[in-house]
Formats: sequence, C-alpha cells, structure tokens
Amino acid sequence: MNLDWLDAFLLQGLFQVVMVIGLALLLHLQMGLVRIANFGVVGFWGLGAYAFAVLFVGVDWPIGEPWPFLISMAFGAIVAGLAGLLVGWLIADLETEGVLVGTLGFATSVWILAVTEKGLTGGALGMGGLKFPFDIGKTKANELLWFGILFAVVGLIFFYVSRIHRSPYGRLLISVGDNEPLAGSLGKPAFRTKLWLFAVGSAGMGLLGAIHGVMAHLLIPQSIGINVTLAAMVGLVLGGSARVWGAIIGVILTVGLFEIVVQSYLPLPRSWYTQAIPVLREMVFGGTLVVVLIIKPFGILGDMRRDKLLRRMHGE
Amino acid sequence: MNDGRKATTLTRPQISVRGATKSFSGRIVVKIDELLLGEQPIEGLIGPNGAGKTTLMRMIMHSTPLDGGTIEYLRTGEYGNAAVVLSDLPTYRMAGLGVVKSNQVIMDFNKLTIWDSLLLAATEARFERPHRIFSEGSVYRRHEDEVRDWLDFFPFADPTGFAQSAGEKKLLDIVRCLLLKPKFLLLDEPGAGLSDELTSKVIEAIKLVADSGTTVVVVEHDLSLIWSICERVHFMAEGQVLLQGDPQEIRKHSTVIEKYLGKGHVAS
Repeated sequence: MNLDWLDAFLLQGLFQVVMVIGLALLLHLQMGLVRIANFGVVGFWGLGAYAFAVLFVGVDWPIGEPWPFLISMAFGAIVAGLAGLLVGWLIADLETEGVLVGTLGFATSVWILAVTEKGLTGGALGMGGLKFPFDIGKTKANELLWFGILFAVVGLIFFYVSRIHRSPYGRLLISVGDNEPLAGSLGKPAFRTKLWLFAVGSAGMGLLGAIHGVMAHLLIPQSIGINVTLAAMVGLVLGGSARVWGAIIGVILTVGLFEIVVQSYLPLPRSWYTQAIPVLREMVFGGTLVVVLIIKPFGILGDMRRDKLLRRMHGE
Repeated sequence: MNDGRKATTLTRPQISVRGATKSFSGRIVVKIDELLLGEQPIEGLIGPNGAGKTTLMRMIMHSTPLDGGTIEYLRTGEYGNAAVVLSDLPTYRMAGLGVVKSNQVIMDFNKLTIWDSLLLAATEARFERPHRIFSEGSVYRRHEDEVRDWLDFFPFADPTGFAQSAGEKKLLDIVRCLLLKPKFLLLDEPGAGLSDELTSKVIEAIKLVADSGTTVVVVEHDLSLIWSICERVHFMAEGQVLLQGDPQEIRKHSTVIEKYLGKGHVAS
C-alpha cells in the first residue's frame, strides 16, 4: 500500500487529537454529568499505559499472540479501573477543592512511581519493547491501522456516552451531579453511583493509555505530565462540558488546531519545537481555560438541553 | 418494639421514635421519649417555629443523624410487623422501604425537565445500571401512564420544560414523592407557597394516597389544613411532644394552644 501521501506528523497529530477526544468524552461523564472535576486524568491514562507495558514486556509469555497483547491491554484497563475505585472512594464525598487536590495528587504519584520504580518502568530512561500486535508492512501502514483501531475505540466510547444521555442511567448521573441530597431522598445511591462511574471512566482512560503506549513504542515519565489532563480538560470546557459534542468540538479547536495546524503547517523556527512549543502550548491552553470560564462557562455549545432531547425522544 | 405492638397486626405502617435526641451547638432541638406515628391514616405534626418538627422529620429520614435513641419503621403485609431501624440506614435506602418525605424548602433538579424529574423518581434501580443504555423506551412505557395521571391531576404550565415558579417546584417535589409509591409519606409543609386552589388539590391527593393504604404525616403551619384532614395530631414545642390526640382534643388545651398557636385555634 502506497502511503506516501500521508504525512507522518499529520498521522501522529491526528492520533493525539482522537486520543484526547476519547479522554475528554470520559471526562465529560465524570465532570459534565456527575460533577467530579477529575484533574488526574493523566494518572489513570499513564497507569493503564505502564500496567500494560509492564505485563506485556516483563512477562515471559508461554502463549502466542495475540493473547499476551490482549491480556495486557485488559490488565492496563483493570489496574486503572481499580485505581479509580480507590481514588473515587476517597474523593467521592469531597467538595470540588478536595477532588482537585486528590486527583492531582494521584496523577503526581503515578508520575513519581514511573520515575522511581526503575526495575519495573525503566525510570527516566523509559520503557521500550512495545510493539504493534500485527505487522502489515511499513511503519506508516502499521501506524495507520493502529490509528484506525484507536478511532474505533473512541467511536465506541462516543456511542456509549451518547446513549447514556438517552438512558435512565444518564438521568441518574445528571441528578446526582445536580442535587445529590435530593437524588438520595428519591432512593438513588449517590456515593455508589459516583464511585462506579469514576472507576469505569478510569478504566477507559487506562485502556486509552495502553493504546497510546503501543503507538509511542516507548513510555517515558515526561509523556504522562499534566499537559495530557490539561488538553482533555481545556477541550471539554471550551466545547461545553455538559455536552457530548462539546468534547469533540473543543478538542478539535484546541489540540487539533495546535498539534496539527500550528505545529505542522505554520513556518515556525526549528529550534522552537523542543523547548518553546510545549511551553507555549500549555500557556495557550491554560489561558484558554481561564478565558472560557470567565466569558462562556458552559462552553461553545452551552449547557445541556434535556427539554429538547426529551421532546425528540418521547415527544415530551 | 414492645410486646404489645408485636401482638397486634398493623393495618398500616408506623414509625416508632424512642429516646431520640438532637442538639445543635449545645442547644437541644429534639428530645422525644416515645412517639408513635401512623396510628391513624393521616396525622398532623404541629407546633411553633423552632419546635423541632422539621428536624424530627429529617431524623426519621436519617438526613440528620441522631445524637441518641432509635427510630424504627414497623412494616406490614408480607413483612409481618417486622421492624427496620431507620436510624441505622443511609438516607437513600428509605425510599426503597417506602418511607418518603417531601421537602420543606424548595428543592429541584436544575438540569432535569418536569417529565425527566418524574421519570427519575419512578424508575426502578435495575434500569439505572451502566450497561442498560437501551432501556429508556421500556422505562417510559412502564411509567408513562402514571406520570400522565399525576400531570393531569396537578396543573403544570409546560411539563416538557423545566419547573419555573416556586409553586411548580413545590408541586413537582410532592408528585416525585407520590411516584415513589410511598407506604409512609411525610409531607413537610405541603401547602407552603401554594394557592388555595392548589392546596385543595394537594389535600385531595393526600386523601387519595391515604385511602390506598399509605400512612401520611403532615407537618404544616396552616392549621386549618391540619384540623380538616388529620385524624390524630401531635403537638410539639421546644423539642418535645406535649400533646397528642384528635384535633378536637388538642384544641381544647386552651393554655398551650393559646401560648404557642394563638387564641383563634382554641376550640370553642
């Protein structure tokens, strides 16, 4: 297959955009519906990536592919989900400030573990040996197929999140985020609801982390920095944290514009790429978050419109 | 539960409060040695502001924890007269047992429409699991008729939109409670903020649910409502139940009633 038309940077940029859309969709469930402001997205994402890598690379598998790969992927998601269960149990009843500190602290702990547990993670030098579970030819072809798989996974997440808005489960999530004591008086177990949502969302983030690890081939602690959380959060808030499409539109306008348009098509000096651009990116994203929260706190798409949705669904 | 109560078969659920106390900042707000709610289908709980009525209601629902004592729910039917200690349970378990309370202050979901809010109340837990993403149709079909019945009974300007006025929010709160199919319904000032016409509708609804076997306890400042629908009244002041009996008996206690409620409520 001739893929000369496909720019390698563009493919990496698209991969990153779709990856962040996936994270923003999961964050939408936690932050947009149940109002858990998870500032530790990268912690679950990174934990999933490292758990996958440690099992996949570190174990001498007695069985052939694709089982080691699939089992390791599931392991990455499960470890992140269990971490979500633990962190969720600690923060589910806290106010926003407590949730912020707790989740940020968790993400920092994962980063510190990645740096210090050299025997498992390779420390600052990183952890290699991650490869695609297939080989269909050139690197670019393999990357394109892996991008397709990520696209399908994020597509499934999008479908699931959209369906949640149209289901009694979504109504439950919104009620818990909206008025927890009132939801409790109607017999809705708010704590359990928040806990399971947080755990399932974290498992999804862990799976996406493992998918990232395979594309990157090498996991280094720098790749699990706050910038991942910031990208998902800024995108979601800009698009509209209470809307499903908010995650997609917001991430395209932030990560998409920056990673693809600015980095690939603007004639920036070469020397900027290593030092200046990452810093610039975080400044722009941070600034965008502040401006959006001041000017348009519900984002471009605005708050959710249950009246319109219900009229469409039931004519009510 | 005492032996005398065990021996009789209850026709309606009751709530037994024993030795229940609650203090805020050292001030005793509720101190009840013995109180049985639900001997009659519709009972009233009255008293001046600060008597501890709302705190007692919140203690029953365990949304305010007790400092001491126990509150038991005495069930009927398939459960025999089995007692459940409500003061050991989290608030969200009450609705499942059939113990439901409306709110004194207006509470609503800002993001849910009236229909949404009512469907939320009516939906069973098994449909609200993360994997049941295709169950909205069945939930709607299961509950459409009962929601429509209540929406026909109480007037809402636009049930497909959000509750707008304080009155609509108050009514919505009551209808949510009714859709939970309560066995023991506590109504905290159900007439507050409603027009006379709507208050009459609420009274009609109270009588309807009481006729269907539900025990109703009404906390209300509008004493004409209490005198007209309650068969038994508990009078609270300074955290204690001072008087109990039917409305006529209560109103004969001129000294107490005059002191706390005003001359107009003393029976002539």
